[in-house]
Amino acid sequence: MRCIQIAFFGAMVAVASLSIALGQANQPVKRAPGAAGENIAETVSVLDHVWLDAAHNRDTGTMAWLFADKFVEVHPGGEMVNKQQQIDQIKDPSGELMELHPDEIQVRYTSPDVAFLTDTTTIRARSGGKNYNGRFRVIRVFVKQGGRWRAAGAGIVPIANP
Amino acid sequence: MRRTGLAALVCLALAPLAFGQAPSKSVAAKGGTSAEEELKQIDHKWLDAEKRYDVAYCEKFFSDSYVLVLADGQMLTKKQWLGILGSAADRPTLEVLNPDDIQVHLFGNVAILTDHTTIKGHDSKGNSMDGQYRVFRVVTKENGSWRAAGVVMNKIG
Repeated sequence: MRCIQIAFFGAMVAVASLSIALGQANQPVKRAPGAAGENIAETVSVLDHVWLDAAHNRDTGTMAWLFADKFVEVHPGGEMVNKQQQIDQIKDPSGELMELHPDEIQVRYTSPDVAFLTDTTTIRARSGGKNYNGRFRVIRVFVKQGGRWRAAGAGIVPIANP
Repeated sequence: MRRTGLAALVCLALAPLAFGQAPSKSVAAKGGTSAEEELKQIDHKWLDAEKRYDVAYCEKFFSDSYVLVLADGQMLTKKQWLGILGSAADRPTLEVLNPDDIQVHLFGNVAILTDHTTIKGHDSKGNSMDGQYRVFRVVTKENGSWRAAGVVMNKIG
């Protein structure tokens, strides 16, 4: 399982690197060097895609691998969930996830062990009896633990129609 | 004589530090850690400063990377938000800006604070902002000091 995750992550790095090279939104405000040769902004941008792809595909193994143990997410509407609750919601067979992807990723801050970014996430889903349809503004936080980057949390709010 | 004077100065200098540390120990005894208690206090000071339009405090406390995501999804940078807060014509009127149920999720050099913030007031155009909000706050430790890095607000009532 771990080999598959690493291979998948490698493929995502290649795809996302190309996207970033082609100019997809990625305008860091503050950066600090990571480990030798590490491009933290690029890594967490890729992990943003990994995170949402895992949720979209109900790949709870990757979510468990990616989420820090103290993970916390505030959903649109203010519901707060921890790591297990988030994974359980994704596993819930009564839920539907038709569309889930991030755009406009902007890495706002990096240090050797902390990074956070904003993105605009498009969601078409039904989860926990609620419908989520539209575009959402998100802050996602990443921390480096045990030598690898993990998702620490996210805050999500719907973007009101003008 | 000189030694006595020096000793007195050292005592005076250390006394505030000792008093400053005392509350943290008592909180730790109640089950919270001093870092968690410090971060809860930071949450209160942060909102107090915004309520008082204390731009100087916010200027120092907000990270250069600071971003505020309002309940309608509008996103403001540090410069934009402090520009609003510092302008008598543009800033909101905040009669109540009070965080409760602060939960600290500490990850070393970053913490995610979640709280339940009550707001009573209106924006510069008179539109009511009254309500209860679930707020996701990110604070980062930079050069040894906690600084506000990001906020996402969700209206819950």
